[in-house]
Amino acid sequence: MGNLLHRLITDLGERSDYDAASQCCRCGYCEQACPTYVVTGDETRSARGRNQLVRLLIEGRLSDPASAEDALHTCLLCGACTAACYARVATADIVLEGRRKLTETPHRLARLLTRLLAEHRGLLMLLLKAANLAKRLGLTALARPALRLIGLPGLALAEEHVREAPLVFLEEVLRRRPAVKDPRWSYFAPCGPNFLYPRVGLATVAVLESLRGPGVFMDNGCCGLLAYNYGELDDARAMARRVIERFEASGSRGPVVGDCSSCTAFLKSYPQLFLSEPDWKVRAERFAAAVRDVPEVLADAPLPELAGLPAFTYHDSCRACHGQGLQTAAHAAARRLAGSAYRELPESDMCCGGAGAYAFRNPALSDDLIQRKAGRIAASGARLVAASGTSCLIQLAQGLKKYYPECEVVHLSELAARALAQGAKDGTPAGA
Amino acid sequence: MTKQDIADLRASLPPGTLLTGEAQLAAYSYDGASRRGRPEAVALPRGADEVRRVVAFCADRRIPYVARGAGTNLSGGSVASRGGVLLSLARLDRILSVDTAALCAVVEPGVVNLKLQEELARTGHYYAPDPSSFRVSTIGGNIAENAGGPRCLKYGVTTDHVLALEAVMPDGELVRFSVEDAGPEVMSLLVGSEGTLGVVTKAWLRILPQPAAVRTVLAGFPSVEAAVSCVSAIIAAGVVPRALEALDRATVATVEAYRKAGYPGTEAVLLIEMDGTPESAAREAAAVERLAREYGASEVRSAEAVADRERLWEGRRGAYAACARLAPNVLVEDGVVPRDRLPEAVRRIREISARHGIQPALLFHAGDGNIHPNISYDERDPAQCARVKAAGQEMLRACVELGGSLSGEHGVGTEKREAMRWLHSSRVLRLFRDIKGSFDPEGSANPGKILPDEGGEAGGGPVRPARPLSAQAALLAGKVKACAAEGRPMAVVGSGSRSPAAPPGCAELLTTGMNSVLDWDKGNYTVTVEAGVSVRSLRAELASQGFHLRWPDLGGTLGGVLASKAWPGLREDLLGMRLILADGEVADLGGKVVKNVAGYDAARLVLGSWGTLGVIVDATLRLHSSAVELPAAGEPKAFCAGPWQRRVKQAFDLKNLLNPWFHA
Repeated sequence: MGNLLHRLITDLGERSDYDAASQCCRCGYCEQACPTYVVTGDETRSARGRNQLVRLLIEGRLSDPASAEDALHTCLLCGACTAACYARVATADIVLEGRRKLTETPHRLARLLTRLLAEHRGLLMLLLKAANLAKRLGLTALARPALRLIGLPGLALAEEHVREAPLVFLEEVLRRRPAVKDPRWSYFAPCGPNFLYPRVGLATVAVLESLRGPGVFMDNGCCGLLAYNYGELDDARAMARRVIERFEASGSRGPVVGDCSSCTAFLKSYPQLFLSEPDWKVRAERFAAAVRDVPEVLADAPLPELAGLPAFTYHDSCRACHGQGLQTAAHAAARRLAGSAYRELPESDMCCGGAGAYAFRNPALSDDLIQRKAGRIAASGARLVAASGTSCLIQLAQGLKKYYPECEVVHLSELAARALAQGAKDGTPAGA
Repeated sequence: MTKQDIADLRASLPPGTLLTGEAQLAAYSYDGASRRGRPEAVALPRGADEVRRVVAFCADRRIPYVARGAGTNLSGGSVASRGGVLLSLARLDRILSVDTAALCAVVEPGVVNLKLQEELARTGHYYAPDPSSFRVSTIGGNIAENAGGPRCLKYGVTTDHVLALEAVMPDGELVRFSVEDAGPEVMSLLVGSEGTLGVVTKAWLRILPQPAAVRTVLAGFPSVEAAVSCVSAIIAAGVVPRALEALDRATVATVEAYRKAGYPGTEAVLLIEMDGTPESAAREAAAVERLAREYGASEVRSAEAVADRERLWEGRRGAYAACARLAPNVLVEDGVVPRDRLPEAVRRIREISARHGIQPALLFHAGDGNIHPNISYDERDPAQCARVKAAGQEMLRACVELGGSLSGEHGVGTEKREAMRWLHSSRVLRLFRDIKGSFDPEGSANPGKILPDEGGEAGGGPVRPARPLSAQAALLAGKVKACAAEGRPMAVVGSGSRSPAAPPGCAELLTTGMNSVLDWDKGNYTVTVEAGVSVRSLRAELASQGFHLRWPDLGGTLGGVLASKAWPGLREDLLGMRLILADGEVADLGGKVVKNVAGYDAARLVLGSWGTLGVIVDATLRLHSSAVELPAAGEPKAFCAGPWQRRVKQAFDLKNLLNPWFHA
């Protein structure tokens, strides 16, 4: 049946991809929610347009299917349209079905990376460390023209974008933690914190220990989102099975907490991968029910207010606010942490243009979005902004440096960890 | 379009402005209605000059073009049904200025209604028109459709809030029209013309200060009749709510199944919202609550705080949403009847629905008789589609039969084109075609919209019998016909209260003797009056029974007041007009409903026309339950016809027989 899901779990129940796309009645109420429509004014780059095009693709009514590529590949998969839609038409999943229909062979880089992540993790880590070392020595900048020359401008851009170059990965640190008898939670390390931002993962673990007591590191692999978005569904399924097995083996009855919203949203959607495998669907459902994103953990946690915080605002990572409905939770936590330093951010739930590999595939559109985002942050007066997704951290770090260098970006977990540590020093126990 | 056409058009525009890929054309082949049509190119201009270039190019090569904003149109008006160029105005999206002292905002057409509201809210102001699509629909689209919304009961529809327009006319010229222009007022004609007469590139809009207080009342009634009687009682009591929405039981059940809003399960639910000072809003809310109980409401709730009011609105706002979840598509039909005919309209709609096996959810803007049956269906099922469409058309026909119109706020587009024959006589349709032909001789501006094709009267003519002419009016029409046959010029003197004496050689047309009140609909708050009636005596008669015209003191006859546009505000309460045209035929324009977007706004065009377009026989006016003091109006001014007023004249009176000296 090829590399297609064929059936989706929608807000209205399980539907064929055709029925899911046809549920769009073209009312257009999603238009102003769609970041690419808002910045281009082009219906082709709107949620409604994309749903209609996928529907035409499924109906076989486009004589030149390749002409739909731009429309489908410029989708951020942010899900803002679904949140604005009365029928909650699942545009992101529908667009992905459309992309898979269009592309016979997945992107070679995505494929390579997926294979490395799934089967040769040790080799991948070695390569990354070498690259990070080279980056620290300023060598990779020299490689950029070569990357562009061999047709990998995205990789060159990615190299330029990413400012972090850790030489010790998160999983290596967490594996050294002593065993715990009755774990209250398990930590899922997404690739972002693992390979780029170990400090985020360490913060999340510290927060969990402070709020919930002892827990375990799942020592998970990749969640499979990369393969789901850019590669092969079967690879995504294989990775999902491995994660589920890890969860089942971990012995934790508490929540599975991850600190990249794109990954946690995807973990929660695992059942959709197994609609034709009833046994795995049940296991995926059990697992998905245990998954929590950081904003959920912090929503009503007893967080002390951070002292001496500069003017602060919060950017909603798309897959937290649109994908998981966590806007209220995230803002509640951010407000409590920042106290009087908190500033409202207009359009806080509009995508920053990070969106996984989007910034590297659609640099111009991505730049329009981050420029708009940086402008809103600057207008709020904030000097510090937090988010909950890895793509946002990368994109905001590089965009703010370019357009509003007075402001820094951190993960919500880092702020919470700082506040809890400060509370402990002040003698205010967590929970007080 | 030939390949050469596309290449030439592309060369005349900046890079990235013209889309021609198959998928791109497909993404511009629909709007919010059901019919599709693929354009041959999509233009995304950024400024009026680029719009002008596209229009001039299309006019020159007789290529159709369709202007479009957000593409949320519910009548198919923004679909390229005859190919050509789809002209998207989404990138003309700047708010150019907000003048809170002059209460005016200047915007480009692609500005989203909500964005304007957000900008105005910063200074405590707002723009009154609030179509349900306001979060995404554009001001340009709102103007093209003369959009309404819940708030228009108190504040009027889009046309009442447009002060001036800059438009690219079908010949490619950029022209500014204002409500203050002397003579036939082309600006009002452009509003609601669905892009068939010009493309708006800039709009001067009236803005209002936000009210200090708002109160919302929700009430459940045992029957639709009881609810509508209560609506009439509220208005008779001198309360003009800013919104007066109704839902029937089926709608409430649909909403409650989706999102528990806690609405009463009664036959009808009314949502009534008052604004003003805290005192007036509280007083009016109390009056409304009392009246609701008096008219049998079992459950009455009231709210003042924003969050509480929002909760009361939740069911109303969720109604369309709930329908959109029942099936892939929703036909939102849009009929309008005189308010007191609503219960009958509901009976007819239910009977039609039962016959076609459909279950519509009924939503009303009850205050102005606008009814929206929402019918969920799957467009992929041809049989179901046919049933739904047939039922929708029958519902419209029923509204027309009940004295109403085909559309209150969604426009005609392609979906109601054929139904126009039920509402308008063939003479009125010809007048509309003549206006279109005179403005757009190449027929390039959004062809195939609003007007049914010539001939093809198989669908039958008007379903409402024409009102008989009074003996005097019939005589006058005969005289005009005779003069027209001879090619003899005529002087429309009316009662002579304003017009100068007829020049020699002209036949005099007098309206003396045409001085009756033809229809005083006290339930619907409208009055139809012959042209020869003295305005002062009419006002006295109306006031004696608690009905008011919100005009300053104006002397002379009604016909004279209207023909000379003795006060610019007349347009707001003019609902309909009967006119003897230059050929002696009679045209019935508009009607007894306060919202009507079925066809060109030709009645308003006659204001200030000084007898050059036709002889006013009678006019239908909106009445108010309370009077307001207004400063005296200045002296009406004669006019010197501009080029577009000349085109109007050509459509009405090609041979220049009526008051010919204006166009000498």
